[in-house]
Amino acid sequence: MLKSANPTRPTTIDELLDARLVARLSQLDLSSRKIFAGKLKGERRSKKRGESVEFADHRPYALGDDLRHIDWNIYGRLDRLFMKMFLEEEDLSLHIVIDASASGDTGEPNKFYYMQQVAMSMAYIGLVNLNRVAVTALGTRDTAVAPMGDQGIAGTIRDLRGRRRTQDIARFLCSLTPEGTTDFGRAAKRIAMTRRGKGIMLVLSDFFMKEGYETGLRLLSGRGYDVFALQILSPQEVEPEIAGDLRLVDIEDQDHAEVTISAPLLKKYKQNLSAYCEDLRTFCARREITALTIRTDTPIDTLILDYMRKRGLLR
Amino acid sequence: MTFTTPLLAAVVAAVAIPTLLILYFLKLRRKPMEVSTTLLWKKAIMDIQANAPFQKLRRNILLILQLIALAVLIAALAQPRTDRTAALGERVVIMLDRSASMAATDGDPGRDGLTRLEAAQRRAIEQVEALREPGLFSRTGAGTADQAMVIAFDQSAEIIQPFTADKRALVDAIRSVRPTDAPTSIEEAYALARAQRPRLLLTEEQADLLEDDPSVAPRMPTLVYHLFSDGRIPDADILMSETDELTAPEFVYHAVGDPGSHNIGIVALRAERAFDDPARLSVFVGIENTRPTERRVDVELLVEGTPASVRAVTVPGADPPSPGVTFGAPGAGGVVFELREPRGVEVRVRLAGLTGQPDNVLESDDEGILIVPPARRSSLGLVTGGNLFLTEALRGLPLGRFETISPQEYESLREQGGLGRFDVIVLDRYLPRAAEGERVLDPGRYMSFGVVPPPPQGVEDLGESGSGAIIDWRRNHPVLRSLTLDGVVLGRARPARIPDDSGVISLAETAEGPAIIEISDGTVRALSVLFDPGQSSWPFQVSFVVYLASAVEYLTTGAGQAGGIGSRQITPGGVLADFVPQGADRVRVVPPQGPALDLEPGPDGRVVYGPIRHRGIYRLEWSGPPGEADIAEGSRYTRFYAANLLDGHESDTRAAEELGLSDRIVQARRDEGRGLMELWPWAVLLALGIMMLEWWVYNRRVTL
Repeated sequence: MLKSANPTRPTTIDELLDARLVARLSQLDLSSRKIFAGKLKGERRSKKRGESVEFADHRPYALGDDLRHIDWNIYGRLDRLFMKMFLEEEDLSLHIVIDASASGDTGEPNKFYYMQQVAMSMAYIGLVNLNRVAVTALGTRDTAVAPMGDQGIAGTIRDLRGRRRTQDIARFLCSLTPEGTTDFGRAAKRIAMTRRGKGIMLVLSDFFMKEGYETGLRLLSGRGYDVFALQILSPQEVEPEIAGDLRLVDIEDQDHAEVTISAPLLKKYKQNLSAYCEDLRTFCARREITALTIRTDTPIDTLILDYMRKRGLLR
Repeated sequence: MTFTTPLLAAVVAAVAIPTLLILYFLKLRRKPMEVSTTLLWKKAIMDIQANAPFQKLRRNILLILQLIALAVLIAALAQPRTDRTAALGERVVIMLDRSASMAATDGDPGRDGLTRLEAAQRRAIEQVEALREPGLFSRTGAGTADQAMVIAFDQSAEIIQPFTADKRALVDAIRSVRPTDAPTSIEEAYALARAQRPRLLLTEEQADLLEDDPSVAPRMPTLVYHLFSDGRIPDADILMSETDELTAPEFVYHAVGDPGSHNIGIVALRAERAFDDPARLSVFVGIENTRPTERRVDVELLVEGTPASVRAVTVPGADPPSPGVTFGAPGAGGVVFELREPRGVEVRVRLAGLTGQPDNVLESDDEGILIVPPARRSSLGLVTGGNLFLTEALRGLPLGRFETISPQEYESLREQGGLGRFDVIVLDRYLPRAAEGERVLDPGRYMSFGVVPPPPQGVEDLGESGSGAIIDWRRNHPVLRSLTLDGVVLGRARPARIPDDSGVISLAETAEGPAIIEISDGTVRALSVLFDPGQSSWPFQVSFVVYLASAVEYLTTGAGQAGGIGSRQITPGGVLADFVPQGADRVRVVPPQGPALDLEPGPDGRVVYGPIRHRGIYRLEWSGPPGEADIAEGSRYTRFYAANLLDGHESDTRAAEELGLSDRIVQARRDEGRGLMELWPWAVLLALGIMMLEWWVYNRRVTL
């Protein structure tokens, strides 16, 4: 909850992605409850029959079909042209939305650093499985710094595929600093308009949005994207260890609340927090969004290898 | 509860409390803290405020604690004290009775063995603790503190501690007081206290001003006397007399001891050798009993430590109280031991079997000691040119030796130093030769007839006059006690004038002046008949012989004679004063308690030691010539003295419940005010505790 005293600001991929974790991540692949059609033939089984090695069916040749797919054996036997049809393996779009507003720069361990690590791990899994990976950072910025900063998007990198783009993702993530406020609704609208294809969208945020997260999630969840909402909270937000007469200043909008910490107040706060998280889960469940609340003191590998696999995001 | 500096506390309270409130309400310093969102907190605050009616109070618990702590600190600033004795003087005179009766072991009825003096000391210390100390913030010496002085007294008094506000010094002074075996007299203590009382010194102008308007008198410290005693003070009625203060000083009598405690003790002890048979020794013992019922007690007589006789004595009970008299007179009894003892001995009389008895709270009067010189018949030298009446009358007395010498023989013996063989020298119409203004009488005992010893020892001779008669005489003087001079007619009177401040007293007088005088100047004791008995009718009267016999006995065995039984008796509270033979050196006195003390004898051999504090045997030792009846121990000579209590007032241990002063009767105070106690350290401690609680609450609010 408190602003991190010395937040880790990663500068290299090593700080984002632990080498030991990399080996284990390589064995994972993204999974979706839906199988999506992609633009490129990737390593993903698509419902669309196409040009993979896995035979699906035959169909009569039509003008313009690729001659390479004519089944010459059947032509020899039946003297008719049949096209061999394969299950086409398509690429999957993985869109990671990371909340880079100032509220992420709190907690111990730092929430934003945690999000960066999760984003990097997921992006790495996406890249090594030849999925199309995009990362969008949320947060209002000056347009001089970020072209879409006024629309709540601090930066974006997209259409990356293959292991060699890992460094690009890492560079992008390292370039982000948590600052500014969130305009989740506008940013989500922008993302929804500009995203391509279908796939998985992973939203990393604390979802503490004064204007509400509902509009944004609703926009993101449409158009066939399998949305995962990962709510990341610091341990201090869950169990505040503060006392005394305090002037709590909102790190994003400088709004303040004067409180005198007392047992009933803390109790109430915890009740409110759990109700808030419950609301988020309920909202997501209704829109087929998988929601998961995680504390930043949860090891990354536990999150990736355990929680996410259990929820079907990875396999 | 009283406050020493209430004004200061009020001022501080007037400033501090509103300041605290203003600070708390106007500018509650909240620590700023950046958080990820205030969303949930605001909601929580709203919920809490809506739901908790006591939230405000709970929020203000720190303020309440701070206010309490501040209030307690301010109260400490006012220096509260318990108000256990109401009116305390600013100048307190603590008079501590250390007389013999204060050794009675009924100081605390609940505790055995605690003496009255110890109880008195305890209560006096409580009184000292009750003194107001200077406030923390008051100027020292500004008269804000109580001061006290400590006077210990028995028959004499001494200032143990002059006026001071130093409680430690006062307590040490009180603790240093030791019991004595002396009788009680408060006169000296009162005089000392009065001499130390605060005085108002005024210039003439101020005095005039004061006369016009008494209200402008500067405020004088109040004087309060605190007497810690059992009230057995015979001269208590001198207290508060001669008070010249505007208002009579307060007098508090703190009684110790039990009015119902009883005692039996020796109040009189005397030994006498028969004049005609000096080996016959009579020991008179007077005993008093304060118990209302009669008591039977065994009286032991020990000679040189060996029991010589035991006599059972029944002492009647004390008189019952009568209206106006709280305590009836003690029952008096006595016993006389007769024994033959020609030696010089130490005689001890003891009341046997009383140790540990409840009705005998004072032990120091259960024993008495007498130093009895050896029996010896007196030797007498008559210096005369021939006097039939006198020679024959003296020859008839039971004397060891009687010599008649002429004045010439006397002078030659005087030059040779051979006069020591006579106890008494009788000068018949003859005065030793001496230069003008010199002393005519050498040290010794004299009787003289028909001469007027001149000053500085004697009186001024006014020449012979006509006939006369003796018109008055001291009927209580040991010499004249048992005779009458009514019929004595003087053929030729010899008027004389007694110089002022001389040691001469007149025993019998004619119309024109003294007829018989006693000269007593320390070294010389003389009974001088100024007129010539041969020129009077006196030799024909019985009283003449009786006078001679009484005078010889008085000068040889009585108080007037060195080496007599009476001279070896000293009273605690008094002094040991005696003469050692001239030429004695390395004189020292060995008291029964404590170390020996070297004394420097005066030119005439006079030694003084005292005051005597304890009963027992005092020993005077010296090297050099011995006196009569002195005991040789190697090259040194020793003389013994016995100090005995022998005081009916002290032996009567019934503690007085009231004390009659000169101007009022003071009731004893027994419900002792335990004194003021400083409370401010406790208040500060409490404030510290509250502040610690506040700090704990501040840090642990989450649990409240």
